Amino acid sequence: MRKANSLEAAQNRFGFSLTIPALLAFLVLIFGPFLRSAWLAFHEYLLTSTEPRFIGFANFIKLLSDPGFLLSWQVTAVFVVMTTVVTTIFGTAYALLLNEPMRGRSVIRAASLLPWVLPSTVTALLWSWIYNGQYGIINAALLTFGLTEQPIFFLSDNVGAMMSVTTAKVWLSTPVVMLFVLAALQSLPQEQVEAARIDGANDFHVIRYIVLPHIKKTLGVIMVLQAMGNLQMFDIIYAMTSGGPVRATTVFSIEVYRRAFENWDLGTASAVGIIWFLTIAFVAIPYLRSLFKDAD
Amino acid sequence: MNPLVLTSRHPVAVTFRAVITILLIGFLFFPVYWMIATALKPNNQIFVQFPSLVPTEPIIANFWRALSQSNLLGYLTNSLVTAGGSSLITTTLAALAAYGFAKYRFSGRFVMMNFMIAAQMFPFAVILISLYPMMQAAGLLDTLLGLTIAYVVFALPPAIYILFSFYSRLPNELIEAARIDGASELTILRKVVLPLSRPALISVAVYSFTWAWNDLLYSLTLVTSDNLRTIGPGLLLTFFGEMQQDWGGAMAAAIMASLPAVIIFAFLQRFFVAGLTSGAVKS
Repeated sequence: MRKANSLEAAQNRFGFSLTIPALLAFLVLIFGPFLRSAWLAFHEYLLTSTEPRFIGFANFIKLLSDPGFLLSWQVTAVFVVMTTVVTTIFGTAYALLLNEPMRGRSVIRAASLLPWVLPSTVTALLWSWIYNGQYGIINAALLTFGLTEQPIFFLSDNVGAMMSVTTAKVWLSTPVVMLFVLAALQSLPQEQVEAARIDGANDFHVIRYIVLPHIKKTLGVIMVLQAMGNLQMFDIIYAMTSGGPVRATTVFSIEVYRRAFENWDLGTASAVGIIWFLTIAFVAIPYLRSLFKDAD
Repeated sequence: MNPLVLTSRHPVAVTFRAVITILLIGFLFFPVYWMIATALKPNNQIFVQFPSLVPTEPIIANFWRALSQSNLLGYLTNSLVTAGGSSLITTTLAALAAYGFAKYRFSGRFVMMNFMIAAQMFPFAVILISLYPMMQAAGLLDTLLGLTIAYVVFALPPAIYILFSFYSRLPNELIEAARIDGASELTILRKVVLPLSRPALISVAVYSFTWAWNDLLYSLTLVTSDNLRTIGPGLLLTFFGEMQQDWGGAMAAAIMASLPAVIIFAFLQRFFVAGLTSGAVKS
């Protein structure tokens, strides 16, 4: 018995040793820097200065009375809500349609992932061209159908710029949502659908009363994951608008980037980062709770 | 085979479905088509208010110009090196750790797992604020090695989680049987577990590769020399900006920049799709 125990202990020591490299990488590259940034948030620290100087909550107080920062909070909220909701609707509709037998379905499904594979700078270039103010195809279409008299310079307009970056992000993520919903549809009880059909249910009824309740949990997970991703979005927005015009598309990531790597004010940038982190945590906690349950 | 859902034969339903299908397929595919069409057009067909939908006299001059006017091939190589390297590191670290967490009992493993899962909430830009001075101190600023190491930040926590749920479903009997045969723990890992987990490992490798390949934030800040730039900042600094008027060249460069990832993905798609959805959604 004792031998068996010591054998098991040796095995578990081996198991623990397997986790050490990842733990070290995690501590050095992720957790350490994150903690240091959290610490910097309470300091005045320019990359050019020698030592961080402790100033308590001064960075936060300064930020909460800075209209520019408060605007970036709003901009982030608009961007995250719009992208998350539209992507979820598009992805779900697309999955339901691609769920039916049609010619070339498997090819279409595979090819639909293309937006997701393209480098995000390519996505940004692509949509900048489509929304181009002089020669863009959207303007050509609007002019052709007489929906506008003059070409619209989308990217230099507050609403137009937000619309452009939102479209690009929705385009990028719709395929992923489609995949998740298709996977969730696999376990849909066919008998229930058939029974409802016999009772005279139409497509809309089936979606409303059978499909949506069935994939509700998946949709919840998708929306939280999407929201977490959208809260972190940097690449496409920075490439398309650099956060502009003026501040119209300055989300948190761009706010932090500007303060940290254009003004080299690491203290204030960290304070923005902490407020940003708390916003993400607020969205993520229900999701993480369910993951923890799974892990235990 | 998924169960059928939208089976109504009513003409209104059929028409509605067809219209939505065409709109969504158009939304997803037209931009890619337009990128290709623009890349094949001469400038006098690009810079018009009402461009024709198809390139009437396709040319490849844009591709040559994009290659000669920018360091595109260099950017692509740098991206492949950093994304490939970090994908290899991330997958190796995550596989070992996930297997350890899933199949061995040692104290603190739940705390550590949960901690890493929670780390997915840390904004990358916030980590970067402190990673930057660290890289500077280590002399890794403006090096491909530094960028490769930094990319581990992106995918390590989700990779551990995806592989953890894969290894948790791996039957314990397989490992027990190998133990009874006298195999050491290391042999079991090498000869039994790793071969079985190839599809999951590939999917995680592709996942972390894509993260690094798509990056703009870290590459823009951690690397500043033009010959070390990766594809994201490379395209951004060459083809964006107020002076940029060469949309034909930009679209040609965009196509060439996309090809490597598209090819890799086309081959590994099968593994990837299964791995991604099974790791995150429990049916």
